[in-house]
Amino acid sequence: MTAQFDFILIDDSAFDLFIYEKLIIKSGIGNSVLPFNSAQDALEYLSKEGETIPQTVILLDLQMPGMNGFEFIDEFDLLPEQIKDKIRIYMLSSTIDTRDIDKAKASISIIDLLSKPLEIGVLKTILTS
Amino acid sequence: MNDKLIRILYIDDEEHNLQSFKASFRKQYNITTTTSAVEAEEFMEQNNFHVVLADQRMPGMTGTQFFEKIRVRFPEPIRILITGHTDISAAIDAINKGEVFRFIDKPWDYTYVENAIAHAFEIFNTRAELKQRNLDLEKAYEELDKFVYSASHDLRAPLMSVLGIVNLALMEENVESQNEYLDLIKQSIKKLDTFIINIIDYYKNARGVATMAPINFEELVYDVTEAIKYLPEFENIEMITNITQTGVFESDVMKMRIIFNNLITNAVKFQDPKKEKSFIKLSIRATPAGTLITFEDNGLGIKEDDLEKIFKMFYRAGASNSGSGIGLYIVHEAITKLEGKIKVTSTLGEGSIFEIEIPSINK
Repeated sequence: MTAQFDFILIDDSAFDLFIYEKLIIKSGIGNSVLPFNSAQDALEYLSKEGETIPQTVILLDLQMPGMNGFEFIDEFDLLPEQIKDKIRIYMLSSTIDTRDIDKAKASISIIDLLSKPLEIGVLKTILTS
Repeated sequence: MNDKLIRILYIDDEEHNLQSFKASFRKQYNITTTTSAVEAEEFMEQNNFHVVLADQRMPGMTGTQFFEKIRVRFPEPIRILITGHTDISAAIDAINKGEVFRFIDKPWDYTYVENAIAHAFEIFNTRAELKQRNLDLEKAYEELDKFVYSASHDLRAPLMSVLGIVNLALMEENVESQNEYLDLIKQSIKKLDTFIINIIDYYKNARGVATMAPINFEELVYDVTEAIKYLPEFENIEMITNITQTGVFESDVMKMRIIFNNLITNAVKFQDPKKEKSFIKLSIRATPAGTLITFEDNGLGIKEDDLEKIFKMFYRAGASNSGSGIGLYIVHEAITKLEGKIKVTSTLGEGSIFEIEIPSINK
């Protein structure tokens, strides 16, 4: 039995949310998946419910209308420590722009930048290592 | 060319020199004179002069010193030095420190001065033009940068979705459910295709040659709706068209098609599922002088904050089911190129109205 994690997915594409939710559940790596199609909504959820949620892995898209991934990180950084402590953020994006990649790497809150499409094998290795 | 457009500042300590210059040239140029270097600087703060003339021998400050002082703060005006007798070292200073364009000998010769000013003005204009071109180029680069950034995302994202679905399908043991995945792949590919078509529209609109022709609106609307009938949401919407066309209205067919295609498609895509019946009312009033077009729908509507941004390149209002953010940008570009106007009024949850005014090309 492999380790299981609780996930929050943030992506403006309803399409990708659907795909990644299924992938995570089917592969057995996910205990639960909570999808958000706007970063704003996810942020509101975290600031309201953040203290009651379990240890969570966030897969965060970058290019989204309204609040994008980096803007989400800026806001996330302002949340109380007891919420932030429970959360591990990975950016999941199809970007190949070096400025984005550098920015994601430089961010303290983003543990790693994963490229789309999400490879479950890669995710498993990263989360369990 | 009306030479009165040339604005000249002339500084000389001898009042009668200023007077005689004015007397000779006031009909030709827009002339400002002063005997004081301090006042000259004040004038330069208030006005944009094309040419500045200064006498070399003035008490307190030479013409060269004056130029040396002003040229950093006011680099644009072309500097001409007026001098009675010049020794070589004064000339060297004038060129090296004052960066003067010409010397004018006293007593000055009418034609010579006229020539010097004409040339100075020419140089002024060339420099201004160059500056403008550089600004345009910078803007074009910036736009291109943004374009490449967003376009690469919008081109790759659907492909990555397809790969994601393939990953998912490979994990599936039940062959039956593969059809579901194929359908998702199909949707993703359609999205990519729409984006590519949009990009081509954008290019045609921005760089393509305009083909002017009489517009038959009945035909145009028919063609556009035929092309978007395949959209799954199309059958849920009722389209009411009201076209009155008198006389011949000429315009760019390509751009008109882009405008109609994007606005109708948007109304079809952004229907409000809460409403019992979705509609789009299209009203066209065309005359040889111009055309008024109104697209009214009872769709999702647009947030007030978003209203002014929706025509920006790659701006996407709303998160779910949104497009690439290029459609309305192209519409706006097309209308601007046709020298028309677009106005949008919208209430969230009620619907949107786009009003477009396009003048005839041969107005």
